[in-house]
This record gives sequence, C-alpha cells and structure tokens, in this order.
Amino acid sequence: MSTTKLTLGQKDARLGFKLVLPSVIIIGLLIVYPIFYNIYLSFFNVKMNGDAFYIGFENYNNVLSDPTFWASVGTTFFFVIASTILTTLMGLMVALVMNKKFPLRGLVRSLVLLPYVAPVISTVYSWQFFFDPVNGIFMHLLVDVFHLSASRFNLIGDPQYAIWVAIIFSVWKAFPFTYLMILSRLQTIDNTLYQAAEIDGAGDIRKFWSITLPELYFVMGSIVLLRFIWNFNKFEEVYLLTDNVKVLSVYTYFKAFTGSMDLGQGSALVVIQFSLLVGLILIYVKKVLKW
Amino acid sequence: MKFVKLGMCTALLLLATTSIFANGQADVQETKEPVTIEYWTTQTQTDRQSTIQLLIDTFEVMNPEISVKLIAVDENDMTSQMATAATSKTLPALVEGAATTMVSFGADGLLNVDANKAVINSIGRDKFFEGALKINESETGAAYGIPFHGWLQGLWYRVDWFEEAGLEAPTTWENIEKAAKYFYKPSENTYGILVGTKAESFSEQCFTPIAQSNGATLFDKNGNLTFNTPQMKEALEFYGRLAKYNPPGPQTWRARDYYLQGKMAMFFYSTYIMDDLAIQDVAASSLTAENFNDLKDSQFDPELASHTSMAPTIENTQSASYGTIVSLGIVDQGDSAKTEAARKFVEYLFEPNSYVTFLHMAPGGMNPVIKGIAETDEFLDNSVLSRYGKEAIGEIVEGMQDIKTFGIVDGVKIEKADQVTAQQIIPQMIYKYTQEGLDIDRAMAWATKEINKLD
Repeated sequence: MSTTKLTLGQKDARLGFKLVLPSVIIIGLLIVYPIFYNIYLSFFNVKMNGDAFYIGFENYNNVLSDPTFWASVGTTFFFVIASTILTTLMGLMVALVMNKKFPLRGLVRSLVLLPYVAPVISTVYSWQFFFDPVNGIFMHLLVDVFHLSASRFNLIGDPQYAIWVAIIFSVWKAFPFTYLMILSRLQTIDNTLYQAAEIDGAGDIRKFWSITLPELYFVMGSIVLLRFIWNFNKFEEVYLLTDNVKVLSVYTYFKAFTGSMDLGQGSALVVIQFSLLVGLILIYVKKVLKW
Repeated sequence: MKFVKLGMCTALLLLATTSIFANGQADVQETKEPVTIEYWTTQTQTDRQSTIQLLIDTFEVMNPEISVKLIAVDENDMTSQMATAATSKTLPALVEGAATTMVSFGADGLLNVDANKAVINSIGRDKFFEGALKINESETGAAYGIPFHGWLQGLWYRVDWFEEAGLEAPTTWENIEKAAKYFYKPSENTYGILVGTKAESFSEQCFTPIAQSNGATLFDKNGNLTFNTPQMKEALEFYGRLAKYNPPGPQTWRARDYYLQGKMAMFFYSTYIMDDLAIQDVAASSLTAENFNDLKDSQFDPELASHTSMAPTIENTQSASYGTIVSLGIVDQGDSAKTEAARKFVEYLFEPNSYVTFLHMAPGGMNPVIKGIAETDEFLDNSVLSRYGKEAIGEIVEGMQDIKTFGIVDGVKIEKADQVTAQQIIPQMIYKYTQEGLDIDRAMAWATKEINKLD
C-alpha cells in the first residue's frame, strides 16, 4: 500500500474527494437521510407515541382518493402559476424602468429591494394590521374615506379573497429578486445591438421584442424555474398570512399535524409533492431551458 | 529562538496544569452531574415566562443538581409538538396544558401516570378539588394530569348598552341572538358578538356550552358516538347564526380587542379578561377626553370595567357553563432521573409561595385547584383580585368545581372525547360551516368521519 505511488490525477481526485466530503456528509444527514426516512414513513401508520405499523400503499391510496387533496393540487397550481407569472412581469417592468436614467435612481433601486429583504414574519403582521377588517387602514380608506365599499370585509381571512391576497403578497415580496436578476442582465446587453437596430429603423417596441427579450430569455427562464420551485414549496408566507389557502405544503402540514394527525399520510403527501415537482422541473428544463 | 523555546515550554506547562484541573473538575461533575429537564408551558407571554423563570431560578438554587429549561409552546401547537418530540425521542420531562390535552396525551401513552399519582398523593389527594382531579383521569382512574389551575368561561357583555336598549342579560339562546342582532351595526363598525370561527381551540371553547345547553354530547356514557344528533345540529345552526353577527371573516380570541375598543357588545372569554379590564379600570381616571383630545366623540369607554358583566351560564333546554382545568403532566420519556427531577419541581410549584406567585401571573385567569387557597390573604393580596373582591373570586373558584366538558358524561370519563378536542375536529367543522359555507349536514358528516378515524 505504502509502495504504490499515486499519479498526479489520482492525488487530485483524492484531494477533491476530501474537499467535498464535509458537504456530502452534511447534505447526506440533513437532506438525503430525511428524504429517505420520509419515503420509508409513508408506508407506515405512525402513532403519536412513535410506534409505526407497515401498511403498504394505503397512505397513498387514501391521499389520492381524497377530493380535498386534488382541490389542494388545484390551489397550488393556481397560486404557483399566477404568482410566478406576475412576479416575473412585475420584475421585468421594474427592471426596464430602473435601467433608464432618472434622478435618485440609486436610492429608488435600493428601496425597491426592501420587501425582499424584510423578514417574512414582520411583513405578514404588517399586512394583517393593514387589512384588519375593523381597525385596519385599508378598510378605513375603502369604506369611510372613499366610500368605495358599503361594508367592511376581511380581505385576508375570507376564504374567497384569501388566495388573491396570498398571490399579491408573494408577488410583492419576491419581485425585487426577479428585478435584480433581470436588471443585471439588462446592463450587460451590448449597446451596439440597439444602435444597429435604430439604423435599421426599429422603434422601442421592436427593439424590446427583437433584442431585449431574446437576450433576457435564459435569465428569465431560470428565474421562472427558481420561482416555480420556491412557490411550489412555499409554506411560511401562505400559512402565516392566511388560514385557508390550502396549497400542498399547508395542506400537508394540516394533514400531518392537526385534525386526525397522520404523519404517515403527511409523508405520503410530501413524496407525491416532491415527485410532482421533480417531474415538472424535468419537463421545464428540457423544453424551456433546452439543457 | 531561546524565547520561542521558553514560550513553548510555558505554554505546555500551562496546558498541562489546566488539563489536570479540568480533569479534576470533570470528575467532580461526574459525581454530581446535574439533571436537565425540559418544561413545556403554554404560557407564551413574555411577562409570564419571566415569572416562571424566576420560580425556576429559585428552585435551582434549592436543588443545584437539577436544571429546568423552560420552553413556551402555543396551546394550538402543543399536540403537534408533542407528536414530533415523541417521534424524534426528544420529549420534555414536564408538560403543561389543558386537562383535555393531558387526557389525550395520556391515552396515547405519553405520560407517566405513576409519577403523576405520586405527586398528587404527596401533595394530598384530598386537598385538590375532586372535579379537577376527575377531569384529568383515565376511564380506569389513572392520573393523566396533575390539576394546576383553572379558568371559567362566560359571555361578557356591555351592561350599559343592554340597559339602554332594554335588553335582558344574555343568558338564554333567545336573549343572546336578539342582542347580537340588535347591536350588529356594521355600517357603524360595531358588532354584536364574538364567537370563535377559526379552526382553533377558542372556537370549541365557545361552542361547547352552546351545544351542552341544548343537551348535545359527543359520546354517551358507554362511549358510543352520539355526535350526529338533532340537538348537535340545532346547536351548530344556532352558532352559525351568531357567527353572522361577528366582526367580518374568521375570528378568534384576539378579536376581544374590539370589545375593549367599544366596537362589540358581547364576547365569549375566560376569566383571564378580568386582568385586562382591571387595568383599563386603573387607567380610566387618566384616559378621558379632558386629558386626551383624540378621545372626544370616540367609542372608547374609560368606565368599561364597570360597564361589563359576565353571564357564566347559557340556558336553552338545560343550563351549561364551561371552563378549563390546566394541568401538569410528567412525561414518560424513559429516564428515571428526569422523572424524579420533574416530580420534585412539580411539588415545589405547589408549595404555597410558589403556587400563589404562579397564579398571580394572571389574576382572575389562573385560579387555584387546591382547596382553601382562594380565601387566603396571600392569594387575595393582589391589585386585580382585591378589585373584584373575595366574594366574586370565591364564586369563580366555586364554579370551577362544576366545569362540564364533553369528556365526562354522567360522571363517567370518556377519553375519546378529549382526543376529539386535542385533534381540533370541532373547530375545523365550525370553520368549514361558518366560513367555507359547507352545508351543515356535510360539515357534521365530515366531523363524524374524522372522529371515527380516532383509535
């Protein structure tokens, strides 16, 4: 063993392996192990005292035959698609504006980032105070000052408005990230392209469709993918802000930890959610990002 | 070079010396290794935690080998947190929560009934109110929880508004609905009543006396499910009608602030409100329009405390009152040293000084379950309690002896009813019916299905 001399390549490989080992261990313990343990649990009926009984695919059968699960899948897709599209459009619009020169641009650029950097818990509570049906400023303006509504209503709590509030909150909170990414790409677009287009007689709209948008295609594609993944798994914003927007992550929480608490079924739900997400990502990466 | 060598020698010497002492200390620690126990409390407010911490600090001085770690858990999260802890084998040694929650934990085998019994016996079983002990027991009489303190719930209302409107006190279904309708003036941002409609424990606390006053039960004394009955349906229908006079949208106990702001006529609440009302009363002398221009023409009433009364019972086909005993439970976490430490700590909490200090955290809200405490000068020596007087406090403590829950039917303990409470099935049903607009029969069928799922 001691006599075998390692080649330079082998030494490099060893060093590389040693360098990544700590990360592999951490990822293994904190991500891979819980995923496999979760898959394992999904085949068990888990009792509150920790006892578990093997029940095969019963958890999956129960989940897939439950209409509230499919309602939750619908809510999730609506939330994810609407918030992703609106966040991207909003980010794009703001980035285009911020790319133009105007007084105090630096200050405005930083201020726009505020919703993204503010902690979720504080922004959620601010929104709740803002939209409180009895004492909130929003209802005061709507009903008492501008007389736009005859009666007060609970914008955040009411099941029929809650999904929209969750979407608007998500857009408001996340668009600065999108704007930042798009703006940084915008600043690297070669100006000669626009000059050449102008010589060819292209107007602003033509330049946007033919130069700006194609140049932004991949960065926007990546942002949409990231936003899709993040919003698909979004829990804290939706759970803290509203009581009743049962996107999959919130639905799973309620299933696993409240009501007839069922950790086994909760695990099955997570596996289904994970599979759905991975499937969608693969399609997206292949079709849109063309990797 | 010489200096380097000298420096290294000194460093080595120091290292050697400190390690010898360190080893010595380690040996000492081994022989007297402290036991650290976790105490999960539902008292999440910072000021209450400071008081409990003070009690813990005193206990630790008297028992240097025991260290108590205080962890606050929201009452709505207690069941899920315990389930997670049980699965990950990180259970606390001691847990505090509503008696119904304790029974549910006990039925799931999470609690050490022998340790609980030992504590009750060492304090003296006959010193506790019998009803408070009964509520914490299993069907066979095992002690799932040690009753600690308790509160009564009532319908608190604006006496002055009722008098002005010529309405009778809200003690019957008819009077409650009539008053709620009368005072519901959304265009003036004033609401008739607050009943819980969120899927939280508060909703069940409001609903229970209404259901019981109509003779509705969850189970009969033989443990058979009697939930889906005309009485229960009628009660839920009535509750739904009351919810229409609520402030907009799903509501929970936090909406009691609207009452304190003079924007609501009635609200279900525990005796915990006495503290807030008394503070308002204390502040009343300065909070007047004379001193603050902003208060002119506002609905704020500096005399709110004296304009408030409580209807402790609700009557329909029968009368019902509701309250909760909050209990301590020593957890079965498989470590006898920790169990012993928890037992010592609980006994310490029941010593007169620490007990009264604990109860004074929420005067009116936390009432003793030990006989005779309520009459002592030490207990009554409190600004809030003395404001209400010995008699009123005595009535509350008296009323606590007769607390009714779905878990006791004709004197027989039904554990499954407490599991229904712990799993928040009724609050979820209320939310579905009042907020999501689910048809009443379907909402009740959903609840029946969920109850049947319980083992």
